[in-house]
Amino acid sequence: MITLLRQRLRRDLWQFVIWIGGTAVLAAFTVSAVNGSYGTETDRVNLLATAAANPVIMLFRGLPSGADLGAFTGFLILPFLAMMAAFMSSFMAVRHTRADEDAGRTELVAATPAGRVAPLVATIVHGLIANALLAMLVAVAFLACGLPATGSLVAGLGSGALGFFAYGVGLIGAQVFASGRSANAFGVWVMLVAYLVAGLGNALGTPSADLQRIQSAPLAWFSPYGWIENARPWADDNLWPVALCALVAAGLAAASVALQSVRDLGESLLPERRARATAGAALSSSTGLVWALTWPAILGWAIGGFVSGLLATSLSSVLSQAATQLPSVEQLLAALTQGGSLAVGAIVIFFTLVGVLAACCGVQIVGRARQEEAHGTVEALLATPVGRVRWLADYVAIATIGAAATVGGAIVGAAAGLAGQSAPDWSLFGDAVVVGAGQFVAALVFIVVTALVLTVLPRATLAVGWTLVGLATVVGLFGPLYRLPDWIVHLAPIAAAPTVTGSGTDVQGLWWLVAAVLIGGAASLALMRRRELAGDG
Amino acid sequence: MSDVIRTTGLVKRYGRQNALDGLDLAVGAGDIHGFLGPNGAGKSTTIRILLGLARASGGTAAVFGRDPWRDAVALHRRLAYVPGDVNVWPNLSGGESIDVLARLRGADTRSAAYRTERERLEHVFAFDPRKKGRAYSKGNRQKVALIAAFSVPAELYILDEPTSGLDPLMEVVFRREVTRVKDAGATVLLSSHILSEVEQLCDRVSIIRAGKVVEAGTLADLRHLTRTEVSFDAAGTTADGIAEAHDVSVADGRVRFTVDSDAVASVLPELATRRVTGLRIEPPSLEELFLRHYGDDLTAGSTR
Repeated sequence: MITLLRQRLRRDLWQFVIWIGGTAVLAAFTVSAVNGSYGTETDRVNLLATAAANPVIMLFRGLPSGADLGAFTGFLILPFLAMMAAFMSSFMAVRHTRADEDAGRTELVAATPAGRVAPLVATIVHGLIANALLAMLVAVAFLACGLPATGSLVAGLGSGALGFFAYGVGLIGAQVFASGRSANAFGVWVMLVAYLVAGLGNALGTPSADLQRIQSAPLAWFSPYGWIENARPWADDNLWPVALCALVAAGLAAASVALQSVRDLGESLLPERRARATAGAALSSSTGLVWALTWPAILGWAIGGFVSGLLATSLSSVLSQAATQLPSVEQLLAALTQGGSLAVGAIVIFFTLVGVLAACCGVQIVGRARQEEAHGTVEALLATPVGRVRWLADYVAIATIGAAATVGGAIVGAAAGLAGQSAPDWSLFGDAVVVGAGQFVAALVFIVVTALVLTVLPRATLAVGWTLVGLATVVGLFGPLYRLPDWIVHLAPIAAAPTVTGSGTDVQGLWWLVAAVLIGGAASLALMRRRELAGDG
Repeated sequence: MSDVIRTTGLVKRYGRQNALDGLDLAVGAGDIHGFLGPNGAGKSTTIRILLGLARASGGTAAVFGRDPWRDAVALHRRLAYVPGDVNVWPNLSGGESIDVLARLRGADTRSAAYRTERERLEHVFAFDPRKKGRAYSKGNRQKVALIAAFSVPAELYILDEPTSGLDPLMEVVFRREVTRVKDAGATVLLSSHILSEVEQLCDRVSIIRAGKVVEAGTLADLRHLTRTEVSFDAAGTTADGIAEAHDVSVADGRVRFTVDSDAVASVLPELATRRVTGLRIEPPSLEELFLRHYGDDLTAGSTR
């Protein structure tokens, strides 16, 4: 048991450093950004009032609990800290359970006196340690920035508790699904939906008269994010929602142990169906093969795009309702919009998010090419009359289709959102198409850059691809909030893509993006002609 | 001129390490050519170069007289490949993977010829095509590659330790299939470290060591290079006075010695006069050839 635990801690050392360190740094960075950008109480009061009036902001931020430095920081960053903990945890849980089982390593361990259940228990303890460390470091980061101790502790514990909840979700996914990939996808989807549910619950909540505090709608209580946000660190310092989160997480972990102890090694709750014996017509070219391998992922991203598009247009109606009901909101809207309507603003924000989703889809598919190469399946493929260049081109083409499907899903969602309204403003649909098309081009940049890395530095493909998407997201979506200089923000393709403003369409860096796509695409294919296969490592 | 595969002075460097160090290999048309060597000798590197998956750092390689790196696609239309460590797509079924590979090689998977051939192979290899790739054991993944290779006719089969993970019954099936494609006129390059397999199948053998071919020829040629072992019960007789005998020893109640393979007949009369019992004459096995080339490694390893 101790041996198993030590093996896990050792294997994850760098994961710990990167995820936990990254989360703590993000916490500290936010406090200093708040000090710099919203240094005065008035600044913060104004921003909170804006946020409370704008469901779009509410969807992506925490729960407003007041304008003092701590409570305001909690509003800005708590859900993101929790999300970092959640992703770290759910991947970690699957890595030590289903992924190991899939690879046959579990069998090796289960054949020793450790048995079938002890490795799972070690994995659970491992997750507890990881999230306890994360809670501690986040609390220390806030403390070091001069925030009050109790609130810092509550914020840290909240992030850790949510991380452990996600860990439990990952463990359950590992019991239910037969492959590590499916279990990971399950973990990510559950946590994203939970995030969205809490965000919607807050967006639909009731603001106080001074717009400084929002009472969550009941919906938020269906999500663990809603629980920890309602702990309201630095305002109420309420620990029982955090305890609730930890308790449910422990329940999930216990359930996974119960499931593990009754099932055979290698089996899953969702059994593998009998697969077809012969290949369908779609599988008759190497392009068809890539499609067969990636379409479930593309479908997932397209659904994500659809939901974002739906929210982009349907939330704007909620917005105008709020404006008519609360005079203070109406005043604020008038001050904020300066020419462009808030509805257009919502579309720009959501479709930038769609651009991120499309980029993720593209990077995932090009990254899949690298995984096939490392895994060795590509060797059998390239021993047939399929050339290296064709192989890479297939992945780039399917990645492009995936990005297009994601943006297309969003545009359909936007149309559906408008169609559901009593008096739809169809010019918003035009805006959605323009911004969506721009973001598609931005996503293509990520695809060709990842393909280029694949040809030049194959082993770094996944790391570089995802890091670039992450950086671009932070800089492009949140850069303006942290008041980064414009030129840095516009380095992110998603922020340089064409957009709409009050005075019409702004082409921005479209031609730069197109040039980058053409040059990068041509270069990666040309370089692939000269490259050898690089095995795993 | 009829060589299907020919490499001269092939060199492959990975960083400062030489994986291949001037490898000369020639595989004649219609031969089953054994490519023997221990792990890490450079067998797979050679095959990757022959398939155009890696580029030679020096020397030349030709398959059907063409450059495997530049003309990879054209060459791949004429060959079939079975890797030693087969990985299949985890979310495709075994049957789908077989069909995909066959189609990419240009087969019409709906034709009756292909269908019957695939069914026959699935039957002889006792393979269930309806499971997802991730559910297959090592041996079954190997069968995916073998069935995909043998179900579509090719002029050249490149097999890289193709029987790893197969049970002995399946190895017999495998040997039958290799003989079948040879009879159909194909050339086979069979890389292996299983000596009995090579001994039973191959017309010619190249032994590779540390990136070089150290011995090449027909099995008969190679046998010539080593000695035949003679042994008999030690009760009452010795090997004293047999001029041709080398390395005489007595152990476990038996007398053993070796003679040059072309001198076996001349020691027989002498043995007859001594009325030896339990006589055994063993021709040199490939194993001994192999040990001769790697034996010093083994002893070096044991003293370390």
